[in-house]
Amino acid sequence: MQKTLLFVDKVSTWVGHAFSWFIVALTLHVSWEVFRRYAMDSPRAWAFDVMIMFYGALFMMAGAYTLAKNGHVRGDVLYGFFRPRTQATIDLILFIVFFLPGVFALTWAGFFYAQESWHINEHSNITYEGPPVYPFKAIIPLAGAILLVQGIVEIIRCVICIKQGYWPSREEDVEEVDVDKLKEELNVKDEDIEKLDVYVTREKPR
Amino acid sequence: MIIRKELWFGFGLMALIVLSVLILTPWGNLFDAHLSHADLGVLGLLMLALIVVAIMLGFPTAFTLMGMGVFFAWLAYRSVNPQLAVNQVLDLFVQRTYGVMSNDVLIAIPLFLFMGYLVERAQLIDRLFHSLHLATSRVPGSLAVASIVTCAIFATATGIVGAVVTLMGLLAFPAMLKAGYNIKVAAGAITAGGCLGILIPPSVLLIVYGATAGVSVVQLYAGAFFPGFMLAFLYIGYIIVLAKWKPNLMPPLAESEQRVPLPPHAQALARRGRHPLATSWRALMGDAPGVSKRTVFAQFFVSLLPALAIAAIIVVAYRIATAPEAQVSTAGLVEAGGAIAADASQSEQSSGLIGAPDTEEENKPGELAPPPGAQEEKKPAAAEPTSATPAPPDAAAAPAKRLPAPPWFYVLLAVCVGTILLIYWLWNWERLEVFKLLLASFFPLALLILAVLGSIVVGLATPAEAAAVGAFGGFVLAAIYRFIAHWRDRPQSEASIGVVLARTLKEFGRIMKESCFLTAKTSAMVCWLFVGSGIFSAAFALLGGQEIIEKWVLSLNMTPLQFMILAQLIIFILGWPLEWTEIIIIFMPIFIPLLPHFGIDPLFFGLLVALNLQTAFLSPPVAMAAFYLKGVSPPHVTLNQIFAGMMPFMGIQIIALILLYMFPGIGLWLPSVMYAK
Repeated sequence: MQKTLLFVDKVSTWVGHAFSWFIVALTLHVSWEVFRRYAMDSPRAWAFDVMIMFYGALFMMAGAYTLAKNGHVRGDVLYGFFRPRTQATIDLILFIVFFLPGVFALTWAGFFYAQESWHINEHSNITYEGPPVYPFKAIIPLAGAILLVQGIVEIIRCVICIKQGYWPSREEDVEEVDVDKLKEELNVKDEDIEKLDVYVTREKPR
Repeated sequence: MIIRKELWFGFGLMALIVLSVLILTPWGNLFDAHLSHADLGVLGLLMLALIVVAIMLGFPTAFTLMGMGVFFAWLAYRSVNPQLAVNQVLDLFVQRTYGVMSNDVLIAIPLFLFMGYLVERAQLIDRLFHSLHLATSRVPGSLAVASIVTCAIFATATGIVGAVVTLMGLLAFPAMLKAGYNIKVAAGAITAGGCLGILIPPSVLLIVYGATAGVSVVQLYAGAFFPGFMLAFLYIGYIIVLAKWKPNLMPPLAESEQRVPLPPHAQALARRGRHPLATSWRALMGDAPGVSKRTVFAQFFVSLLPALAIAAIIVVAYRIATAPEAQVSTAGLVEAGGAIAADASQSEQSSGLIGAPDTEEENKPGELAPPPGAQEEKKPAAAEPTSATPAPPDAAAAPAKRLPAPPWFYVLLAVCVGTILLIYWLWNWERLEVFKLLLASFFPLALLILAVLGSIVVGLATPAEAAAVGAFGGFVLAAIYRFIAHWRDRPQSEASIGVVLARTLKEFGRIMKESCFLTAKTSAMVCWLFVGSGIFSAAFALLGGQEIIEKWVLSLNMTPLQFMILAQLIIFILGWPLEWTEIIIIFMPIFIPLLPHFGIDPLFFGLLVALNLQTAFLSPPVAMAAFYLKGVSPPHVTLNQIFAGMMPFMGIQIIALILLYMFPGIGLWLPSVMYAK
């Protein structure tokens, strides 16, 4: 079971990682476009559409990845104080009540939305002869479907947690604030920090 | 014990809300699809109450919003036409989602995040702190001041509060403790400084607000500039006053630690004369003092840099002040317009290229009509070939005449000349060394921020474009800094540049990968919240909840001041259980439509909200900054000490909030000048 869960995690993560490189493409694309406009005086009309597409695809496809890494913002005031079993119960209920209908609606609606766009061979109307937008619209059901699968995995995680009393493990990933790495970066060791206690306790009696 | 109380408080609040929801829900009408207009409005308010409960339960907010939004939107549609309801909801949802995906304001978010992650991984914070520490060593409370400045700069460039506070907790906190600083003061300086990045643009918070409230991000950036700096200066002022007043809290550094170690060549030169500029000039001209000419020239050039920079500022200011734009309207000729355009582009180029050298002759005060310089002579020649019918010479010459410089230009000129004199009067070998250090750490970062901000505010680039160029700048910055670090660390045996390059590239690959992944995760977090709130706020509007709130608030007959205080108070309280993203994305759409009734500018309101939400990062018990600092501080530093240290800074933030309210000009002056709003 754990293997299947981790496999789905891996797929979501892989997709997220793959699409995360869009940020590099976006950066280079926009920088180059700005350069073209000011230095070469030859801006391209479709640049704006492409910019939007990079951005939209980037964040939509990273949704499942973020869920797999438990990265979506939560109200942490009370949740953090609950025992894992309570956390899992709340999550399980809310996954079924909110997540499944919401994301399913998105996927379902997105599918027909993209299909229609595909049928009429829709092109962007922001500029004259804009690039095709149907692949971009197809991102919605695609992202929704991956998210849905990842959500089901999360539901199973909740059930496991309720059964065994602690959260099943997840795969490691980069973190925004990785304290160990930051310590390494500045060559600070734990002993050094502990040695500082002298200065702290010295101040106490005053 | 605190934890327990909180839990009970939270549960009590939730129970209260749920109970009132249960009582107020129009149960009777809910099931038979005959909801009246008033029932729907009540449902809208209930939805708002329920979302607070659901968020506090800790489920990912984006999906809570989605699920609830879909359900309530369906209820609203069902009351009109039960057959079409499902399709209408689905259409609405997917269109809202597509709206978020093609939102040209939100694009800037991943780009600014990417820039932040790259800059953070350039690992220049310890150099930054070190050089700022040396630069401020004579200021009272120097370490705390240096910490705040470091935090402000670094947090502004990266926007990651957690990383900044952790890094400074590892770097500046030990330094301050060793220097005998009071724990509370040290903790307060770091946590407060780290939170400045939320307010000072380019901040993601302002983009999110701009996208939600429909306010121009450009104007928000221009507006938040001075309040952000005001806050930083208030912090620094507080530290300095406190250090003067109670020196035992922040003992001054020992004389030996204030001294800047001079490299050998500087020592050799310093023996020959106190002033680097004069000494190196003399050394360059004639007698060789045992130091290579190249080194001497480097000293001379670095010494000259401030003057060059200020001269460049004067030239640019002069160009802007005297740009012959005002005459465009009088000379309606196409040819004349072409001439002006040619002149403008030419002058832009010249100010960038040769700018500094011809400062002297360009800026002789007293001569109202500048002598026809090289540019003026060249201009008609450049204009004539482009125009089919050459304009009569005097018509072409008339618009070319530069305007007389306005009085403010002479004030600026005097200030700049004064600054140059002051700088060179104070200039000595130690300051030169400090300046070099700053040049390698502080100025690149400051320049990056200013370039990004400047191009947005002046209108050269949209926020998204500036963010992309900024990310590219972060890219280059990280590459250069990592290369320099590897170059310095290289073992003596393998001094070849190729090895160092290869090592840098390898690390840079890792940096890129990590930054990309983090950018994807964080932007997915923020933007999916927008996807959820898209359908949620649509449902709220469909149900007419907004209408009820508006009627209710207007029936209270509040003055604008009362409304403002109430709104800020609510936002402040919401800052306790919620993150700033949630507050802005979910609750701002409720406040914004009320603003016109009270004659409040949404731009101004946004600045107050940004300042206010910053306070939320510092207000216990959920002050994130405190927990990050606690994570890396010595075991005997308690959370309560850190909280106590943050309190004065929170007080300053509230003072800043009041100041901004009393003098809206602090925030609104720059946008009003730039955009004639």
